[in-house]
Amino acid sequence: MRIILAAAAFLLTTTAFSQSKLPAVDKSPMDMSYYPTGYPLLKIQDKATEQPVARVIYSRPQKNGRVVFGELLEYGQIWRLGANEATELELFQNVKIGGTKVKKGRYTLYCIPNEKKWTIILNKDTDTWGAFKYDVKKDAARCEVAVEQNTEVTESFAMTFEKGNGCINLIMAWDTVKVILPIYQ
Amino acid sequence: MLRITALVLLSLFLSACGDSGGDNNTVILPAKKQPLSLKKETPNPFSMVDVSPMDMSYCPADYPHIKHIAGDLPQMRIIYSRPQKQGRTVFGNIVQYDTIWRLGANEGTEIEFFKPVTIQNQKIKPGRYTLYCIPRKDSWEVIMNTEVNIWGLNINTAKDAGRFTIPVTSTTALSEYFTAIFEDTATGANLVFAWDSVITKLPISF
Repeated sequence: MRIILAAAAFLLTTTAFSQSKLPAVDKSPMDMSYYPTGYPLLKIQDKATEQPVARVIYSRPQKNGRVVFGELLEYGQIWRLGANEATELELFQNVKIGGTKVKKGRYTLYCIPNEKKWTIILNKDTDTWGAFKYDVKKDAARCEVAVEQNTEVTESFAMTFEKGNGCINLIMAWDTVKVILPIYQ
Repeated sequence: MLRITALVLLSLFLSACGDSGGDNNTVILPAKKQPLSLKKETPNPFSMVDVSPMDMSYCPADYPHIKHIAGDLPQMRIIYSRPQKQGRTVFGNIVQYDTIWRLGANEGTEIEFFKPVTIQNQKIKPGRYTLYCIPRKDSWEVIMNTEVNIWGLNINTAKDAGRFTIPVTSTTALSEYFTAIFEDTATGANLVFAWDSVITKLPISF
């Protein structure tokens, strides 16, 4: 009897544990991109020819049939450039963004989207949630970038790096919109 | 009525074809090829969504929500990917016993300590490590490695920084997705791993 009770108690606690504490999978899953693109894979194949310059950790909301920019996301309002936890840009080297020198380290990325241009913001307040506590005093750099239109729809918000012209480009795309943030080494 | 419906459907189909093929001025970027990762979703011109999505857990739990009251720095965080059981027996089957497993999927699982901690009497300095595991039936060996920014395969064991053996507990409450979270304890926190019917806990003191 005692064994049965102990077993029942164990089952109850483990069940309660599993149900109350184990997190479900996020509706907007997290993802990670490096520059050089695919660096972790290149590294294990001994194909990495340069040190990592940057990586971004972000969450990927979906369009789900909605008009994203100007409707789901209002123009002129600060947006967390993703979902859930604040989007994190890590710079492994000192760089220049929007004419401002930025030291290596971790930054939170925000965006103020408008129809023709976005303002991309690097902020020093990391490990935060969304843009709810955004503090302009902690900005490290701002850069205005032009909005490009794609006819092909990007269902899940995407951030990826590519080699640019004398710089590296952080590409951000969602719905029919694409913007490029140049980062100078 | 049936004929009208068929006509409507046919015209919708044709107009859809016309839309997609009508504009030749757009440059469509190729989908990225990542041979060792599994991707799902309709093609995304920039970066497809992972089958095993990434996730992040902080200690204190939910730190990003409570940082205004929890202090300037979190204790630690783990970034990992979440493979799914999908009806399979996980341990001893798709994850083999006595073989190195990346404790997740895709990129190597990353743990970052923002402040010093102690694990099984070993002092660990703040910093970032890749975590991996050698699962056995009754115990796991959880291993910290100093090689970071790495895919979770071909781990260089010469760079191991700590090896910790922890017991395996079974549960009937199955975890469909591999899960890694921190739970508070009297002396710090447990790093809890759960997948399928298995739960393991790595006690961390600070």
